[in-house]
Amino acid sequence: MNPNTRRTLEFVLDNLVWFMLLFVLLVFSLFVPNYFQPGIFANIIEASSVLGVMSIGLALVIIAGHMDLSVESVAALSAMAVGIVFCSAGIGMGVQLSPDWLGVPVSLIIALAVGSAIGAFNGLLIVKLKMNAFIVTLASYIWVRGVVLALSGGRSAQDLAPAIRWFGVQRLLGLPLTAWIAILCFVVFSLIMAKSRFGRHLIIIGGNQNAAFRAGIKVDRILITSFVLAGAIAALAGWLLAIRTSGATANLGMGLLFNAFAAVVIGGVSLKGGVGALPGVYAGVLLLSAINTAINLMGLPATSTQVIHGLLVLAAVLLDTLKLSIRQKLA
Amino acid sequence: MKRILLSLLGVLAVALALLTPAFAQTKGKVYYLVPTLLDEFQTGSVSALEMFLKQVGYEMQTLNADNKTDVQQSQMNDVIALKPAAIILAAVDFNALKPSIEAAMAAGIPVVEFDRQITSTPSSFTSVAGTIEIGHVAADVVEGLLTKKYGSVKGKILQVLGDPGDPYTLDIQKGFEEKMAAYPDVKIISLPAMQWEASNAGTIVSDQLLANPDIDLIFNHAAHLSVAAAASLEAAGKKPGDILMLSSNGAPVGLDLIRKGWMQAEVEQPLYAQAAAVAMFMDKIVNHQEIKAGEYDVLGLKSTLTIEAWGPNIKIPGAAITLENVDNPAFWGNMKPPTETIKSVE
Repeated sequence: MNPNTRRTLEFVLDNLVWFMLLFVLLVFSLFVPNYFQPGIFANIIEASSVLGVMSIGLALVIIAGHMDLSVESVAALSAMAVGIVFCSAGIGMGVQLSPDWLGVPVSLIIALAVGSAIGAFNGLLIVKLKMNAFIVTLASYIWVRGVVLALSGGRSAQDLAPAIRWFGVQRLLGLPLTAWIAILCFVVFSLIMAKSRFGRHLIIIGGNQNAAFRAGIKVDRILITSFVLAGAIAALAGWLLAIRTSGATANLGMGLLFNAFAAVVIGGVSLKGGVGALPGVYAGVLLLSAINTAINLMGLPATSTQVIHGLLVLAAVLLDTLKLSIRQKLA
Repeated sequence: MKRILLSLLGVLAVALALLTPAFAQTKGKVYYLVPTLLDEFQTGSVSALEMFLKQVGYEMQTLNADNKTDVQQSQMNDVIALKPAAIILAAVDFNALKPSIEAAMAAGIPVVEFDRQITSTPSSFTSVAGTIEIGHVAADVVEGLLTKKYGSVKGKILQVLGDPGDPYTLDIQKGFEEKMAAYPDVKIISLPAMQWEASNAGTIVSDQLLANPDIDLIFNHAAHLSVAAAASLEAAGKKPGDILMLSSNGAPVGLDLIRKGWMQAEVEQPLYAQAAAVAMFMDKIVNHQEIKAGEYDVLGLKSTLTIEAWGPNIKIPGAAITLENVDNPAFWGNMKPPTETIKSVE
């Protein structure tokens, strides 16, 4: 194989998820009626904003060689906390701040505080008490959803304060601001992972925690930080979710965890840790959103959509596995 | 370490104290097996049943199945072992619970079907608004709305179902579509909001607004889905009333959307009356006495009790809620429980 062909092949393999996305968009545009239009592409980006942000936090923890199953429930609790304080109908207290825009930073702080606290709790149990991340975060997944239920009594908060809801209504270049927030998060965290010492250390820890410790990296501190970040980012996803749905219900965000895992894996992050980059994760999120949108437009019987969704995700993961095996042969 | 252990023991002691039942003079304990608590109708049913059963002398204990059939089956088995006065069941799955119902009945424990009718096996009593009938009432409302808009029943409808694994939503769909089949000029697009999750409904509405910009009406199978649907309409630049919308179950959020103009109607499930009917007949159910067919007044609603192959079945009529009657306190979505005390049927 000549060097140019090899380089091209490596480029394709390294960015396979983006090519898969383009391929899927092309196929759906050709065969799904009404798919090919700017509004649908804007919808795909908009619909992926919550899942995308949540996937960032999950990816950080997985790259560090751990797991966080609590992100979905954390997002739901943050959304409910924001909903209870700033919604004016249902169980919302309808708190009004003066000036109105003050509601934006205050609601964001409430959400981030909730998420960071749960992330710190998870991190401390996992790192300091050496408890299993799967079990600790599974427990958090359950108890945090329980708190959502207890706080809401199963009822909904509705009619989010217009100043906060503004982010879901206002558009910039055809995309709602919530989508831009998600894109900004991907850019910022991609830079952090690629350019900062924290990002590099996180990858090293995920690859080999003992070697990282021997190399003088403050493993415990970085791991706890990654869990705090995962919690805070999930909370940001919850804040976006509350904006998107103009409130919160007790079952808000259900099912997001598994989609986030699918997106992270499709995006090329190894569940064993130490491998992965956030741009790929964003492509994975967009890919799932593109598939969802196609299913919405195809008018398939309600009972078969889940099967198709699952099979398409499986196909995407199989392609990713194929990529890894070709990559190994090239090495 | 000692302090941590002491704190842990303290927490355990408090938890145990909370678990210790308060003993009171009652006619017996009734277990309510609720399918989920992530839904305003279901949480409302817990408090309504508890309130009405207390009025006729029964203590109620609720078990939540988190929408999992196997969990509800286990709960049934556990409750049968406790030999309660009766079991009230709102089944997660209408068919899968059949063996458990038969086991309870064989053990002499009366089983009451609440809200979700099971016709495949006999039970002691059934109190329903009827999910298929909810679909029928919704179709009646849609007929009226489309006729008002076009002068005849025609147009395009987006039907947002709940989770496709839930027979509740499939029955509403069946009732709605069988009645709408009379109108060939109506096109219905049906899509499921997986796990009854609101943002999934929002995504469906956003996508369909682009794929089918000529949608006249959106029918969501639960009010909380309408909240996200309205948010998507607003984000797409629509104003209240631009696209007609209705949903079913009559939850508080749905009533708020009617007041704000985003929705034109809700199909009310008569939650309070459904719960009151169970309590009114509980003495007869527990004592295995004959329940007679006929018309009964349940909280002012004329309800018909028939003796079916699956047992006594009371059907409480659902109603359409519109802007004209939205503030009627009889609707459970207004969260004003009836003040009148119910009495057992003699």
